Amino acid sequence: MIGVGGKIKQYSSVLDKPLSKGRQEVSLSAFAFLFSELVQYNQTQVDNIAELERRLEDAGYAVGARVLELFCHREKGNRRETRLLGILSFVHTTVWKVLFGKVADSLEKGTEHEDEYMISEKELLVNRFISIPKDMGTFNCGAFVAGIVRGVLDNAGFPAVVTAHFVPMEGQQRPRTTILIKFADEVLRREAKLV
Amino acid sequence: MQFFGGSAAADMTPSPAAPPGTATGLAGNNANMLYIFNRNGVCLLYREWHRPLHTLDAQQDQKLMFGLLFSLRSFTAKIDPTSVDKGNLGVPLFPGQGCSFYSFRTNTYKLSFMESPSGIKILHLTIDFIFLLFAKFVMRSTGVKSSSMIQHHPSSPSPLPESPDLDKFARSSVASCSISNEIYLFQFRTIHVLKYHFVT
Amino acid sequence: MAAIYNLFIINKSGGLIFYKDYGSAGRMDTNDSLRLASLWHSMHAISQQLSPTTGCFGIELLQADNFDLHCFQSLTGTKFFVVCEPGAQHMEGLLKVIYELYTDFVLKNPFYEMEMPIRCELFDIHLSQAIQKDRLVLLGR
Repeated sequence: MIGVGGKIKQYSSVLDKPLSKGRQEVSLSAFAFLFSELVQYNQTQVDNIAELERRLEDAGYAVGARVLELFCHREKGNRRETRLLGILSFVHTTVWKVLFGKVADSLEKGTEHEDEYMISEKELLVNRFISIPKDMGTFNCGAFVAGIVRGVLDNAGFPAVVTAHFVPMEGQQRPRTTILIKFADEVLRREAKLV
Repeated sequence: MQFFGGSAAADMTPSPAAPPGTATGLAGNNANMLYIFNRNGVCLLYREWHRPLHTLDAQQDQKLMFGLLFSLRSFTAKIDPTSVDKGNLGVPLFPGQGCSFYSFRTNTYKLSFMESPSGIKILHLTIDFIFLLFAKFVMRSTGVKSSSMIQHHPSSPSPLPESPDLDKFARSSVASCSISNEIYLFQFRTIHVLKYHFVT
Repeated sequence: MAAIYNLFIINKSGGLIFYKDYGSAGRMDTNDSLRLASLWHSMHAISQQLSPTTGCFGIELLQADNFDLHCFQSLTGTKFFVVCEPGAQHMEGLLKVIYELYTDFVLKNPFYEMEMPIRCELFDIHLSQAIQKDRLVLLGR
C-alpha cells in the first residue's frame, strides 16, 4: 500500500512475520519517483503515445496478476470471485484498499453498453504529481492502473479491455480519472447462463 | 581618472591596530569592513577590523565589490515593481536615479549601503556575531534540540557554552563598542580623504 | 494590494525556468526577466566570494527603497526569489512552501525535463493556491 509516512516493522526472520497483511506502507515520494522513472524510461523506448500507453498497461498487467494471487490468498482463503459483480467489487474495494489505502470513489455500469463498467477516482494516486503536457493530448498515466485492473480480471477469468480516461468534472479544476472496463463477449454470455 | 579599479593613495595607510584585549581566537566574529568608492569606482578608502578571511588581494576585492554594487544598482532599478518606466539594464545610473537598495544580508554577513548625491558610495559590512555565537555554542552542541529552550547545563558532557569562552565573547563584544568609536573617528579622516580627492 | 510582486525560479546555471507576475507596475518582457535572472545568479555568486568568513551561501534578503527581495537556494543550486513589499513578513516560509511544491509537482512529474522551463499545470494550480492563502493571511491581520 502506498501511503504518507508509516513504519514497516522489521522482523529478524521471515518465519516470525505474520501472514496477515498488517498495515504496510511505502513512502508516497519513493513511489512517485519510481513511477516517474518508469514513465520516463518507457518514453525513451517508444515513438508514439499509444505505444507508451500500451507499455504502461503491460507493466500494470504484471502487477495485477500478482496482486490477484496474493489477495485471494490473504483475503478470500484461496477462493476467487466467479461472478461479474463479485469480481468488480473485489477490484473496487479490496484491490484499491490494499494498493491505494482507500476504496475507489465510484463503481458504475455504463449507460450505453451492457458490457461496460467504470471505476472512477477523483484523484488517482499515480496521477497526483503528474501534469500532462498539452502536446500529449488525452494521454493518461492511469494506463498503469488500467493495466493492474486488466491483470486482475484477466487472471480471474474475466478477459476485458481496460482503458484510463480523463473526464472533466463540473465545478472542478481538475478532471477525474475513469477506468473503463469493457468485458469480452464470452464473459457476458457465461454470466447470463449463471443467473 | 580611473574607472573601475585602483585605489587612491590614501588607501595605503595600514588599518589601525585592533583594540587591546580583542586579539583572541574568536577575532572575526565581530568583523567590520568599510569601503568608500567615488562615482568612478575608485576605492577612496578601505578599512577592516578582524576580518578573518581574505580570498582575494585588496585591489581585486575592491573591484569585485564595486562591480557587485554597480550590478545591484541596475538590478534594483530594473526590477522595481512600483515604477512604470524602468529604463534599460546595464546602463549606468546617476546617483539617486531609479530604485536603489540600502542593505542586503547573507547567512554570514550584512552589508549596508549609502550613496550620497555626489555619487560617493559608502559601504559597511558587518558580521552578525550574535548569530555566530548562537551557531557556535547552541546549534553545534549535541545536547540542544532545536526549538527547545536554550539552557546552560554544566553537567552535560556535550560542548555546551563553557564560561571562559563566553567571557571572551562578552569581552570581544564590548570591544566592538570601541570599534564604533573608531568609525566615528574615521569620519573626520574620511572627509579629509574626500577633500583631497576632489581638489586634486 | 499585493504583498508579492513577482516570483522567479532560476536553475543552477542561471537560466530562468519560471517567472510569474502578481501585479507589478510596468510590463517586463521575457528578455528582461531572463537577463535579470542571470544577473541575480552572478550577483549571488559574487556575494559569496566577498564574504569575510567561510560558509557563505549568498544573498538571502535584499532591501531596496521600494521592495524587499527574499531569496532561497536549494542544496542543488536552484534559486527561488520573490519580490515583495518592503517589510513583508513570513516570506522565508512562503519560499519553503514554493520549494516543496516544486519538489512535488515538478520533480516528480515524468514529463518535466530537468533544468528546463517549468510548464506543469499542477504546479501552477497549487502555486496560485499558496499565494492566495498567503494573501488571505495578510488580509486577516
